[in-house]
Amino acid sequence: MAGKTIVVTSGKGGVGKTTTVANIGTTLAKKKYSVVLIDADIGLRNLDVVMGLENRIVYNLVDIIEGKCRMQQAMIRDRKLANLYIIPAAQTREKNAVQPEQMKTLCAELMEEFDFVLIDCPAGIEQGFKNAVAGAQTALVVTTPEVSAIRDADRVIGLLEAAMLHDIHLIINRLNQKMVKKGDMMSTQDIVGLLAVPLLGVVPESEDVVVSTNRGIPLVHDRGSRAGVAFQRIAARLNGENVPLDDNGAEGFFGRMKRFIWS
Amino acid sequence: MVSNDSLPMQVKAGREGFTLVPHPSASFDSIMDYMRRRLSESRDFFHRSNMILDLRTRHLGSDEIQALNNLLVELSEAGLVEVKISDDLSMSVQGSQHKRAGSPSSSMPSPVEGGPVIVRSTCRSGARVVSTSDCVILGDVNPGAEVIAAGDIIVFGSLRGVAHAGATGNRSARIWALSIEPNQLRIADLVAVPPRGSKPTPKRYEIAEITEDAIGVTTV
Repeated sequence: MAGKTIVVTSGKGGVGKTTTVANIGTTLAKKKYSVVLIDADIGLRNLDVVMGLENRIVYNLVDIIEGKCRMQQAMIRDRKLANLYIIPAAQTREKNAVQPEQMKTLCAELMEEFDFVLIDCPAGIEQGFKNAVAGAQTALVVTTPEVSAIRDADRVIGLLEAAMLHDIHLIINRLNQKMVKKGDMMSTQDIVGLLAVPLLGVVPESEDVVVSTNRGIPLVHDRGSRAGVAFQRIAARLNGENVPLDDNGAEGFFGRMKRFIWS
Repeated sequence: MVSNDSLPMQVKAGREGFTLVPHPSASFDSIMDYMRRRLSESRDFFHRSNMILDLRTRHLGSDEIQALNNLLVELSEAGLVEVKISDDLSMSVQGSQHKRAGSPSSSMPSPVEGGPVIVRSTCRSGARVVSTSDCVILGDVNPGAEVIAAGDIIVFGSLRGVAHAGATGNRSARIWALSIEPNQLRIADLVAVPPRGSKPTPKRYEIAEITEDAIGVTTV
């Protein structure tokens, strides 16, 4: 059974790529799918910290690619979920230690074994981006409602299209509904209108994210967190489940009512 | 047998036609000589085929592209339909149909000087479209993208990036768009920045042109 390779990218740094990978991956694993997360940010690894697995790293992505270890040796199993693994990035190497062709081969091998392969793409559009994107069939572009992040997301979407990757979805992170209402922040509609790619979900701004990152426990384990719920819904949509987009009033109760009346 | 990599020009066959990739260090004369020989040897093979010129690894000037195209037309009635400039930018050749239009090769007109460049997608940040005549964009021009034309620019979408009409000095050039809210507008030698604050949304379209030595936008 061949799985699906999904790259999570953004262009700009600090918009929440790693958080997205950790939470979507954990949610899919909780749904009993086998999932592997790859940290492609070689030289600046942090997915392992967010997952709380920092102290278990022996081998890394570059070791697999250079043939220094078997793939199973570098895969670290999650503390809570037996069907969730991560492949950490090398901390002491540079991005050009890996070539796009090698990533393609690695992703193809992993897809044989796993239902979902999630790749955490580094910020920027250089070699690291090309490596991360090479083996993927689907791309999730993460942006925050800031002009600079949206500009970079737009550039990245252009590059993904040029790389013949057309299955692109948008995730808007750190949306503050109060500020949108006051007109101080770009709304979901504005962002989707500009970027013109289908929206997969909206994650509200939340302090829980910082807490969960520091503790090394993905948000989706915390049932009370709104951001965690948003990530769960995004993962469900990614999995093809029919979950309406009402995370943040993008299409709320009345939206559904209207649809019901019109249909 | 000479390795394929050392040829002045690689000719790769594909679904859309042939892709021509010039060698990064080959001189233009050697490329032309090689193509002349190659086309004369197998004239029927390349007859009326569509050629895509890939300039991602080696730059060619516009006169060199024109000379190469003339050679293709002369020897095989083949024509360049597209020029790839970088990973995210390719230009359809003047007067010819862009390949995404899916035009049958028999109706392929040979490139005409002065036809518009047509882009059938949204121009995203980082994209740069240059035309030696008019330019038509079927999509939006997003912030960070640049459209430069010697003639007029027509955008069937929102213009939010930078547009430069009449780039060679034509002050009567105009910019049409369904909505003009750009980073910056340029016509000939004048530059304009839109005023701060919100503006009325156009019902139909907007035109930017030079009136009395300043760029003005008229909402229709």
